[in-house]
Amino acid sequence: MTAPARARPHGETDMDVASPPLLEVRDLRKVFVDNEFETHVLKGVTFSLGRGEMVAMLGPSGSGKSTLLSILGTLMKPTSGSFRMLGRELTALDERDLSRFRNQEIGFIFQYHHLLPDFTALENVLFPHAGRVGRETREGRERAAMLLERVGLRERMHYRATRLSGGQKQRVAIARALMNQPALVLADEPTGNLDRENADAAFELMREIQQETGTTFLLSTHDRELAERCERRIYIRNGVVADEAALQETATGQPLSPAATWRVIGGAGAMVDRTRERGAREDRRRA
Amino acid sequence: MRFDLKVALRYLLSNRLQSALLIGGVAIAVTVFTFNAALINGLAEFQIQRVVGNSAHVTIEPARPLPAVAPARDGAERLVAAQRSLERRPQIRQWRTAEQVIDTLPGVTGVSLNILGTALASRGQQTVPVTLKGVEPSRLSAIAPIEEAIVDGEPRLGINDILIGRKLAADLGLRVGQPLYVASDQGRERTLTVRALYATGVDSLDSRLAFVNLDTARVLFDLPEGITEIEIKLADIYAARAVARQLADTTGLEATAWMDKNQRLREALEGQGSSGNIIKMFTLITIVVGVASALLLTTFRRRPEIGIMRSFGISERFVLSVFMLQGALIGIIGSVIGCLLGFGFSILISTVTGGRLPVDPSLGQYDAALLLAAAASILAALWPARAASRIDPVEAISQ
Repeated sequence: MTAPARARPHGETDMDVASPPLLEVRDLRKVFVDNEFETHVLKGVTFSLGRGEMVAMLGPSGSGKSTLLSILGTLMKPTSGSFRMLGRELTALDERDLSRFRNQEIGFIFQYHHLLPDFTALENVLFPHAGRVGRETREGRERAAMLLERVGLRERMHYRATRLSGGQKQRVAIARALMNQPALVLADEPTGNLDRENADAAFELMREIQQETGTTFLLSTHDRELAERCERRIYIRNGVVADEAALQETATGQPLSPAATWRVIGGAGAMVDRTRERGAREDRRRA
Repeated sequence: MRFDLKVALRYLLSNRLQSALLIGGVAIAVTVFTFNAALINGLAEFQIQRVVGNSAHVTIEPARPLPAVAPARDGAERLVAAQRSLERRPQIRQWRTAEQVIDTLPGVTGVSLNILGTALASRGQQTVPVTLKGVEPSRLSAIAPIEEAIVDGEPRLGINDILIGRKLAADLGLRVGQPLYVASDQGRERTLTVRALYATGVDSLDSRLAFVNLDTARVLFDLPEGITEIEIKLADIYAARAVARQLADTTGLEATAWMDKNQRLREALEGQGSSGNIIKMFTLITIVVGVASALLLTTFRRRPEIGIMRSFGISERFVLSVFMLQGALIGIIGSVIGCLLGFGFSILISTVTGGRLPVDPSLGQYDAALLLAAAASILAALWPARAASRIDPVEAISQ
């Protein structure tokens, strides 16, 4: 039912050819300015996501994954570049429209569940819907209950969030992200705070839901094992999308071929520096 | 139930101690507000009743003649002071017409047709200047409750009778049934019999005023037809100005309301009212500061949650509404409790002091307290609510 997990540099997919992608990101840049210092976090990210894909986003800490997720989630504005989702150029929307779009089309799952502690599991799941329509509707409650049943928490739907275990909380967070039937779910290290067993369970749950509903998932993770189980992976390094094959070569410590080095888009300089450092260290050891 | 209201209520209930303290603070401020109003207004009412209870609410007097206007040489008009006639006192000749007009007015509870003049009252070597008030015997108590205030004798007012205050009687060494020689400022003299003594508790009435029959006054003051004033008592003393204006317009006579005749009382009441308002203002400031600071702390504590809400597309308006509603709920609940406490406290103090402290629980301005305290709480919530609605979700989530 899903595309094989293989590397597609720059996020190119088969779906791009067959149907318009769900999300198209072009030369996205983000610069943070603090006093006189500029920090270039994203340096021209370009990729696309097809409908119904489950894509893992990998990269070291500080590479810009979270910033990219914040921008894709319309929580943060990029400095330049464009990204289109469902055919709409989101950089052109004002705050109110972005808020409405986010509510209807994007779901968030965070590393830490971030449930509202004063509310029950059901109310937490219902929140994105009730907050938009202004009241709790019967249909909303039924959908929230159905989602909680789907994540295996029907028996605990009336429990306060504080009374749930870590794994249960994350399952409630997954249900909440799906409440408004979004086209895209952005998950920022969704299993990072869970033990292996719960991490696997949470991932499998997302995978099943993705397959059942056709919702697109973009997961930021450090867990290569989970990433391998996704259909596709995007590597972020030094603020750009990097080539998977090139990174695999650097990860195994093999000498980097000039072609592979330069396939690392934008982050080439930093990678070359690191490769040279490693080479110099080995030279010193041999000597 | 509106979802923003549900969230606001949940937030208030989740930190019960803080909410209870906040509501308690508003309640105490409203208690002070309402008790202060009951005390200040009760005191004002007490003073007004003491003054107005024994006097007319509207007094009709003869119209003052307009000053004569003499043409000046350059063609402009010039005002020239016209000297009042000293030959005969100003009088209301058309008093019957005026009385008919008064009878048509709603809310009039008493009317007295009077001839008022000054005289010297003598007994033996003692002579005291007095004000003689000629009234119709049937309307003796139309304005001041003289009959209720009789302490000795009978309130009969024949043409040879006079009623005097107990203090005047003491000054002249008089008792009921004894004669009193009276000489008016018109040079007419008469010896009258003291028929009764009264004590109203108002010094000016008890020591310087004497009542005679209206016909006796006509003779003493040389007024065979007219009268000098018409006094009117109203059910609503605060309608006096409007009634006076209406009577002046209709009759062409000069009509004055009690509040315009008692300038000092009015000034005293205004001063009292102003000091009361300052206290009320401070109670409202206390509410604003208390609610604003507590809600700001709540906003800060709930930053990550607000960030999460914003991350799933909850609008700024919804967040604003949640915090405004918290302020409104604190204000409404606190002020209702405060009004009940203020009412109860006013009754308690009124009962304990046995009426010595003129607290009037019915004058606590509870509606104003409710409205102002709720408005102050909502106003106080505005700043924290705006701060909450503008929280950057990315920053808040990463907190």
